[in-house]
Amino acid sequence: MGSQKRIAKELAELVESPPEGIVVKLADESNLYTWNVYMDGPEGSPYYNGKFILNLSLPTEYPFKPPTVSFKTKIYHPNVTNDDKGSMCLGMLRADEWKPSSRIQAVLQFARQLLAEPMPDDAVEGRIAEQYKNDRKRYDEVAKEWTRKYAIAS
Amino acid sequence: MADAGDRMFCHACGGVWLHNAGDMTCPHCESDFTEIIEIPPDPDADPPPDRPPSAPAPARARPNPWADHNPWAHQEDDDLDHGWGSGTGTGTATGNGNGNGNGNGFTHRTYRSPDGRFTFSTTTYTHGFPRRTPPSQRPVNDPLMPMVQGLDSIFNGLASTYRQQNAPGSTSSQPPTPDRDRGRTLGSFEFDIEADGRTGRQEGLHPRDADGPQPMNSPLRTLSDILELFRSDFGTNTQVGADGVRVVTGPNPLAMLSTLLNFERHGDAVYSQEELDRVISQLIEQNANRGAPPPAPATAIQSLPKKKVDAEMLGSEGRAECSICMDTVDLGTEVTMLPCKHWFHYHCIELWLNQHNTCPHCRRSIDASQ
Repeated sequence: MGSQKRIAKELAELVESPPEGIVVKLADESNLYTWNVYMDGPEGSPYYNGKFILNLSLPTEYPFKPPTVSFKTKIYHPNVTNDDKGSMCLGMLRADEWKPSSRIQAVLQFARQLLAEPMPDDAVEGRIAEQYKNDRKRYDEVAKEWTRKYAIAS
Repeated sequence: MADAGDRMFCHACGGVWLHNAGDMTCPHCESDFTEIIEIPPDPDADPPPDRPPSAPAPARARPNPWADHNPWAHQEDDDLDHGWGSGTGTGTATGNGNGNGNGNGFTHRTYRSPDGRFTFSTTTYTHGFPRRTPPSQRPVNDPLMPMVQGLDSIFNGLASTYRQQNAPGSTSSQPPTPDRDRGRTLGSFEFDIEADGRTGRQEGLHPRDADGPQPMNSPLRTLSDILELFRSDFGTNTQVGADGVRVVTGPNPLAMLSTLLNFERHGDAVYSQEELDRVISQLIEQNANRGAPPPAPATAIQSLPKKKVDAEMLGSEGRAECSICMDTVDLGTEVTMLPCKHWFHYHCIELWLNQHNTCPHCRRSIDASQ
């Protein structure tokens, strides 16, 4: 269908000229709808040097329905749920904000930007957001610690 | 007066019937896990046992039908179905509104909605006066046990409803709902909260698992907490008779009522940050799905102007693409133009407008008047 064509196109573009710190790959070559995303922690953030694996899942209605992004690598971040799902809350992926002209590349770049600049007011982890706002030093420490623990391949 | 025949009680289904000499199997479920219950010839003559100090051992004088039965003795999860209340899994709960009973004595009724989500069971004890008001309405004149047992079976009913909902696959009767539909399901959210989830569709409520798997509202724990309150009530009123039989006298009915009212009120309140977070995230999710613009009417979509792509539309680069399918659009291709001047393949924009009546680019409504 049309969605496959567009997805293939976007994938090709992303593979050909990947945005900074982002590498994408199909999780399964025969399935266009599930992507593995390898994201480098942005410089200047406590996630720097970490390699994060994300899962990008496209609905069959794509681009009319937004994709979902989740972290497979555990990460200490106000906008990523601290559970086994690691769901990331991206404003542009919400049903009322999504528009089919948004591209996956933009989604992923936005996600990486969120690592550099968390949005504590739009948080899914209230406690981490609190800490980010009130005790940045401690937040940095924990985020770094988690990055070291979970996001650096040994 | 009440006939003096012994009753049989079935531990498997909770049914009660007149003892027929020699036959020990339950006529309802054919279980032989039954027990003979001796009913005193004139139970109404019993003084109301709600004043333990003034009537220290009313039941010691005559055989007490419940002398060996403490309804609170088994309230563990595993045991909830067992006993006086007939839970969903057992007892008479096979169809819609089953009842059994035999004149004097017990009437068990279990109502179950066709989809199995609602279960309500009652136990009525009529001892000898047919068509009198249910015991719960005259708690002072009656031995309180029937009322307590009625409550017990209500709790059992609730508890089994919960277990049903929590059981894996129990919600499979509803097809998996796509995101948009989930929004609709969440529409019952408020109702669920008010009813403390008793009738709730748990599948519509998705806790976000902020700190690992959260306990699902632990409704059972809440229930047993309340039962615990009752138990302590009983504790103070329980006396050990001279023959070692535990005599359970009734608690203060007012206390029970107020506890019940508290239970009702519990439905609206959250007591922990975790719960509050859960509620808030539900509201957010609900809102997120609701905030999307509504579909455009088919006539509006069809009446959108169509145009052949000209050089001006291609812009300075001399090439353009439909931002929905991302295919390059060549000169002369027929496209559909929205009031905001953004254009797409008719087929592409139709699919989008069928879901939302806004431009996929600038989100302006396609209703030109706005």
